Amino acid sequence: MIETFVQLGNAFAALTTWEMLFHAAWATLLGIAVGSLPGLTATMGVALLTTLTYSLPTNAAILVLICMYVGAIYGGSRSAILLNIPGTPASAATTLDGFPLAKQGRAAYAMSVATTGSTLGTLVGIVLLIALAPALSELALRFGSFEYFWLAVFGVIISGQLTGGSAPIKGYIAGILGLMVAMIGSEGIHAHVRFNFGFSDLNGGIGLIPAMVGAFGFAEVLMVMWQPKADMVKSTREKGSGLPRFKEAWKYRVTVLRSGVIGTFVGLIPGVGEDIGAWASYAAAKRASKEKDTYGKGSIEGLTAAETGNSAVVPGALIPALTLAVPGSAPAAVLIAALFIHGIRPGPMIMIEQPDFIYSVAVMLFLATVAIFVFGISLAPVFEVVLRIPRERLMPVVFALCVIGPFALTQRLFDVWVMVVFGILGFFMRRFGYPMAPLVLGIILGDLLDKNLRRGLTLSDGDISPFFTRPLCMIFVALIAFTILAGIPFVRKNTSGIARSLMRAGKDAR
Amino acid sequence: MRADLYTAPFLFLLGAAFTYGGWTMDRLEIRQIHPASIPGLVPMLLGVALAVAAIVLFVQARTRPVAETAPEGTKDSAPGSLRDLATAAVLCCIYALGLVGNIPFGVATAFFIACFVIAFEADPAKGRAHLIKVAVIAIALGILVATAMSILFRYAFLVRLP
Repeated sequence: MIETFVQLGNAFAALTTWEMLFHAAWATLLGIAVGSLPGLTATMGVALLTTLTYSLPTNAAILVLICMYVGAIYGGSRSAILLNIPGTPASAATTLDGFPLAKQGRAAYAMSVATTGSTLGTLVGIVLLIALAPALSELALRFGSFEYFWLAVFGVIISGQLTGGSAPIKGYIAGILGLMVAMIGSEGIHAHVRFNFGFSDLNGGIGLIPAMVGAFGFAEVLMVMWQPKADMVKSTREKGSGLPRFKEAWKYRVTVLRSGVIGTFVGLIPGVGEDIGAWASYAAAKRASKEKDTYGKGSIEGLTAAETGNSAVVPGALIPALTLAVPGSAPAAVLIAALFIHGIRPGPMIMIEQPDFIYSVAVMLFLATVAIFVFGISLAPVFEVVLRIPRERLMPVVFALCVIGPFALTQRLFDVWVMVVFGILGFFMRRFGYPMAPLVLGIILGDLLDKNLRRGLTLSDGDISPFFTRPLCMIFVALIAFTILAGIPFVRKNTSGIARSLMRAGKDAR
Repeated sequence: MRADLYTAPFLFLLGAAFTYGGWTMDRLEIRQIHPASIPGLVPMLLGVALAVAAIVLFVQARTRPVAETAPEGTKDSAPGSLRDLATAAVLCCIYALGLVGNIPFGVATAFFIACFVIAFEADPAKGRAHLIKVAVIAIALGILVATAMSILFRYAFLVRLP
């Protein structure tokens, strides 16, 4: 316990230099601007900024990326409140109560509630990150090839299930397509080149950054240009409306705590992300609320729950990313790639090789949280101006960055073509209702799944029973089976019927 | 979703092709590797998984109502402009696949941004003054962004620009 505080103190001292604070300030500010603009997502912001952080020292680069991530997730609330369009998918639940408040002439008040909610949500997530990450890292040290194979399968399945909405099959398909993309290029056991179709550029496989910039950048540019323009609500400046909303936060402290915990645990689930965290927190808050009927009409509690929930996902998503190298969300996937670029190897060994890094990440998140709070309260009118930039002028600049970003990584035009292909693919996948998170997770987890299945089979001399009989494997298999079965409407309907009968029987017995 | 009826066969074929690709992949017998670690094993399994998922998708698309098959948050609230989409896609592809690499990056970027702004903002019905104003803004924005981007990447990040 004391050791934890000592390490946190050391990390805090190392990261609170003027240079680091400057990096935290500009990156968070940029993140809020990126998040507040519809069409620019946190994933895209982190992916583009990764290409701009090569020359920075490791700690500064990671700090910049984390600040961008936190800032963008928070920034999405601005357009959700003022335009009724979530700046990032994470803020979709914020529109339900944020926009009605803006229409009532309380936009500035709604934005300060969102700021306070986001700040508290991230803080709850940071506490849980510090508490859970070392324990999860220790558990992950017991993982062998068999367990890692199931972890990869579980990641793709749960991500597909939760992001696929009422059609989990589309989530599974997106995940399988991601895994297939990861099969291209030299494989990790015998260095045999697969599916290069005679192009030597494909020998190294498809780079994650070009693929992500395409799927989240170019696809968004196309989506934004395709969709009709949004109208902004006129924000009135009520006196004192932009001040921090601690009174409301204290009034809804249970909701804040519940949403923070839900958000963090949703973040822990591989490849699920902030939008699900916000929806889950919102639904839980509504269920437990005494003022249910105000939800959807400008409920302060609803807005607090949504913003606390989505912001708490950020630290939560970093827990598996750091300890298992399995991202909890799409931006965390890019962050994993950035960690490798900067010489940090996320995974179970992180607590042995760089035990102080998790605490540094916690402090980085804290700095980002302070920055969103300060900027959110003090610069609200500036972000309203940012929202007025016409899409016709913003989108070509974004696309030019999408082109030069991946090129800067490897200095080859092939990555620009990869970006374009993934952009077009991403656009059509979105059009036809396929979620993007499982695709990204598939690309990340493909190598893990491939290597560990074949390594496990080699260790067991072709016997598949260890995949089903080792204790941790049995847990994973049960979770996967449960997840798949829960996605089948027939099973879901019948099991909920049985559960209802059991509950009724229990009540009668009492 | 009606489109699922057309995408499902395509996905099935992709799955079948992947399985075939995995099956016919070099098994590296010459290196005497363990038969369970052949490089084509996982592609084969993934191909089968995709084909099965495609069949389920097809069956669901035929039996379930339209509204039920679209995941939450992916349904479009309002129809978009196909003309805008096509214009944006064509301009972006010409820039990324045609201009970049063939002419200096700064020139290509300035040209692309100016064309993009003009294509979307210029309205001939509003008169000549409007067109000139849009053209001046577009060219200024193009030159400004291209110069800033080129300097940033060339001198700050030491990237040899295409």
